[in-house]
Amino acid sequence: MPVIVCPSCDLAHRTAMERASERTRCARCQASLQRPENGSIDTAIALSIAALVLFLLSNAYPLVAIQTNGSTRSTTLVGAALGFYRQDHAGLAALVFITTVVGPFLQIAGLLYLLIPLRRKQQAPGQTTVFRLLALVRPWTFIEVFMLGALVALVRVAAYARVLPGVALWSCALLMLTLAALTSRTSPGQFWRWVEGSEA
Amino acid sequence: MNPPATGRSLGLLVCLQCHATVRALQVPHPRCPRCRAHLFQRKRHSLALTAALLLCAAILYVPANLLPVMYTDTIFDEERDTIMSGVLVLLHSGSWPIAVLVFIASIVVPLLKIVSLSVVLFSAWRRSPRYRTQRSELFRMVEFIGRWSMLDVYAISLLVALVQIRSLAFVAVGWGALAFAAVVVLTQFAARTFDERLLWETPP
Repeated sequence: MPVIVCPSCDLAHRTAMERASERTRCARCQASLQRPENGSIDTAIALSIAALVLFLLSNAYPLVAIQTNGSTRSTTLVGAALGFYRQDHAGLAALVFITTVVGPFLQIAGLLYLLIPLRRKQQAPGQTTVFRLLALVRPWTFIEVFMLGALVALVRVAAYARVLPGVALWSCALLMLTLAALTSRTSPGQFWRWVEGSEA
Repeated sequence: MNPPATGRSLGLLVCLQCHATVRALQVPHPRCPRCRAHLFQRKRHSLALTAALLLCAAILYVPANLLPVMYTDTIFDEERDTIMSGVLVLLHSGSWPIAVLVFIASIVVPLLKIVSLSVVLFSAWRRSPRYRTQRSELFRMVEFIGRWSMLDVYAISLLVALVQIRSLAFVAVGWGALAFAAVVVLTQFAARTFDERLLWETPP
């Protein structure tokens, strides 16, 4: 019987040869050990493409505009990072840019790069490198936190000015949901299951 | 009772990137045969790195809360907002659910993170055998909620980008925002460098 080791507490477990049909937890530390992982690669690719379109919309259109005494000012997603940069806070600008633009883009583009060849039972060149890059980027994608932050900012501005939500605000909200669905369907375990399927 | 079989006792390594279980080979820098990530019995210098990052975060937590994160110039007056006064502004403007949200994300979560990580770090260092499951779960919760404290940084970034109508209102970034962002990033890294498995090491 194969043995798997819990990544959270190092306890060794014996498992059945066939894949787990439901979620299993570590007997000692209760960390999630196995998930069913029988998702469809087509769904994952469809979600990635949807996320890519939403990402492009979110960056092409203004996020929000404010109106006071006839003058209007709007900002885009990148504009939020640029605001920090213009006030000589390059570190903060980089943090916002990486977590709201670079992170989501690398995640979406990386997944498409890996999954499209896998669907045709091929492996993308540099597959393992891109996989590890994705694992590195994944914890630094903060779109959902950004959306909530935007809500807080808009509530504060609404006291002074008229707030006009832009196209990107809606596409960003949809991107947040799409990315959540995509992330849960492309866990590392699921990804390597597809890779093994392409080798068989 | 025999000690439970672990990866270490069986000579097995688990890849932290792809969760493959691998037989430990006696080579200098083993890599995962599946995803080529480096394999470690335990993360290197885990306790020291986590302690150092956590200490920096705890020190920066003070300026993050005392220094203004944002200056607002309007034609009427000039305001300097700290994280806490930002919460109070939201509370007085009548949007208390948002005020509660910001209070939890910006004040409670960073503090909870620093305290919880210290507790977990201390018990791993002492190899304390009690409440291991709870501590393990505490650590995973901290990892999960930690990202939400970035909320205020994003709110400030949008205010800075939007409110730049020079004659009427102008928002400038304060150094508190940088200290605050540094606390969030440092605690995120502290959670990454900590090796959970050290909580389960059997006492000598």
